[in-house]
Amino acid sequence: MSVIELANLRKEFDDLVAVDDLTLTISSGEIYGLIGPNGAGKTTTIRMICGLLEATQGEVRVAGKDVLGAPEQARQYIGYLSDFFSVYDDLKVWEYLDYFAHAYKMPESEIPARVTEVIAQAGLEVKRDGLIHGLSRGMKQRLGIARAMIHRPKVLVLDEPASGLDPKARIELRNLLRSARDEGATILISSHILTELDGFCTSIGVMEKGRLLRSGRLDEVILATTRTRTIRLQWLGESRDQVETTLGRVVSVSGVKLAGNEGEFFFSGSNDELSQVLADLITAGVRILSFREVKQTVEEMYMKLSSHEVM
Amino acid sequence: MTAIWKNPEFVRHLRAELRVTRALTIAVVVIVIALLIWLGCWGSRASEMAAMRRSAYFTAERLAEMERQGPTQVWFSFYQILMFAQLGILTLWSLFSCAQSISGERERKTWDFQRATRLSAGELLIGKLLGEPVLTYFIVLCCLPIALLAGLLGRVGPGNIAQGYLLIISGALFIGLAGLWLSNLFESRSRGLVLIGAFGLYILLAFVSQAKESNFPGIAALSPLTGFERLFTKGPFARATVFGSPVPWGIMSLLLYATFGFWLVLMLLRTLTKEYEQMRPLSRWQAVGCAAFLNFTLYALYVPRTLTEWDPFTKFMAAVNGVILFAMGLAMLTSYERLKVWWRTRRQTRWALFAEDGPQWPWLAVSAAVGYGLLIWGLFAWKNTLGFEIGALKASLVEFAVVMIYITRDITFIQWCRLTRMRAPVLKGILFASLYYVSTIVLSTVFSVSSETLGQYSYAVLTPAGGFETGPSNPHFQMAVFVGMGIQLALIVLLQMAIVARLRYAIGEVVSR
Repeated sequence: MSVIELANLRKEFDDLVAVDDLTLTISSGEIYGLIGPNGAGKTTTIRMICGLLEATQGEVRVAGKDVLGAPEQARQYIGYLSDFFSVYDDLKVWEYLDYFAHAYKMPESEIPARVTEVIAQAGLEVKRDGLIHGLSRGMKQRLGIARAMIHRPKVLVLDEPASGLDPKARIELRNLLRSARDEGATILISSHILTELDGFCTSIGVMEKGRLLRSGRLDEVILATTRTRTIRLQWLGESRDQVETTLGRVVSVSGVKLAGNEGEFFFSGSNDELSQVLADLITAGVRILSFREVKQTVEEMYMKLSSHEVM
Repeated sequence: MTAIWKNPEFVRHLRAELRVTRALTIAVVVIVIALLIWLGCWGSRASEMAAMRRSAYFTAERLAEMERQGPTQVWFSFYQILMFAQLGILTLWSLFSCAQSISGERERKTWDFQRATRLSAGELLIGKLLGEPVLTYFIVLCCLPIALLAGLLGRVGPGNIAQGYLLIISGALFIGLAGLWLSNLFESRSRGLVLIGAFGLYILLAFVSQAKESNFPGIAALSPLTGFERLFTKGPFARATVFGSPVPWGIMSLLLYATFGFWLVLMLLRTLTKEYEQMRPLSRWQAVGCAAFLNFTLYALYVPRTLTEWDPFTKFMAAVNGVILFAMGLAMLTSYERLKVWWRTRRQTRWALFAEDGPQWPWLAVSAAVGYGLLIWGLFAWKNTLGFEIGALKASLVEFAVVMIYITRDITFIQWCRLTRMRAPVLKGILFASLYYVSTIVLSTVFSVSSETLGQYSYAVLTPAGGFETGPSNPHFQMAVFVGMGIQLALIVLLQMAIVARLRYAIGEVVSR
């Protein structure tokens, strides 16, 4: 089931088209990474999804509600966190979350328990009654996520949430987001730090110059951007010649690089053909220790897309 | 709508600003200060009495009577100081805290989170209006029992005390609304400008109480000081009138706060949850309504004092309408983005020229026509004082036409500035328009050095002042006024063409990022 639907979304600022004819569907339970360089239109898209910015044209629906037509109804399903933000330093941690729980019009009876629950998820139990003023940057970021999660939104929209965080805080942030996903939230996360999204997102969209270059499940997008797969192998004993000869016979193998007892080659055939290559190597007497495909990272995939290697 | 004590925004301010220790400290400080003021009043009265006793001027009976009245006088002075202090603190702090409210949230980057919640613009407005100055409301609450006691002991009637508090609260709410409006109007980076504006507004409201001797004395009621002064002063006092009928100052203040406050609330509700670039304080119809309201208010508050003939009166009203039209024109400016949308869809829209995102000039013309219509009505309503002559209608028609044309040119120019890559285009547009008027006045003055007639003609051709000039009755001068109007109309057409050219370029060759 689709939770976020964008149809022909367009946003203009003066002479600039920040988002151009963007159509996108994100299904329930996904962690969708929106990637692209600075100025690609990610933040503008996110602000339109949250109803903070009116689109020049097009439609935004969150959980079936028209964000532009009925913003107040749609907002109950959206939790939002922007990149550089501030919190109300003069409030206590629980007061801050209580404020937003009320602002999102949660049922009064559920609020105290929910505040306690979210504080625990964010690992801020010790600071519950402390003023926000005394929290570290990472803690404030976690408090920000806790705020975005307080009303159990169906969609969590995070714009560059890890900006300015140290590695430990980033790991804590990831864990917090995983717990949000486990609660059933669909997460839309934008970032230009691609390693942040690797191994975390289930789907991905690549934006550049206001347009969506590619969108889909992570493995599908990677596969679609890859003409050749990189295969790495290791063997035992003196079998370098056999490896070279066997690989040399296969048409879909190219770029063979061997050094010592290991090597790497590009493969453009199907899985069946790859399996046959392995069988041929074993038949040729090569004592294979490992034979695996090197997965392309999000970063590599993005570089290919943005350099228009695959379009 | 959530009840005020449950309004999350109000509760947030309450929690942040009135923690128990702070509240207790404030209460103690208020009591101590009140005690010091009372001691001051008592001391002052005691030394006054001692001086009177030493003087040979007062008889023993008179002195005895004054001794009897002494405590009442002390309590009355104490009550008066307390009331003025509460008025000063609450209005000042309401204005400044509200004026920093939204621009401050924008600066701290917390505003988007509030806008992303389910709080409506109305809930945010009420929460901020009462929440931002909550500390001073608490101070007033602490003062209330002391002032009540002082008032009663000072022989002030309970009705009078209630009126005083009504004025304090309504004045603070109105001024707070003005502060919020100001705060919403400026981007975060202009926070200093907001504070300067708030300070200017406060001074203006303090000085507006002097308007009670003017031709529009009711305007003085915009300042809570006017009604307040009346509460403590006995004897003859200038009165506010509505269509010539006297109205108590307190009621007048409440009337003005309610009506002007309505427009402020409307503008805030329309813009509060919008992105800064997408804010448009009034719709086109509302702008016309607002112009009509301001005109109507002036006719209602008019009292013939110095403006007792139709000629200066129509000139004054035409000039005031110039200011109103300019303000309405600014409120009607369309963003580049919306103007492009209008241009793209204009062929599918009925009455496209009058569309919300379209050009301003049709609506400025409508506003000016409404203003002129109300002038005719005003002249008719005040015909016994001003006279209702065909000459008045003709002269004022020219005055209104001149004002409308010049203001339309300025607004069209500022709209064009908005389509350029200028930084702060509206501000720069206003500055350039002002520069035009200054330079034409200088030019006319220079011409008049060599020839007075030449100076007058250039004045008539280049500035709107010619339309107001009744002195030279020769037809050539009047022709020069019409030539000037023609030149300005041609300029408006040129500016419209420039706007259209820009839109065509933008739509034909939009540069992608």
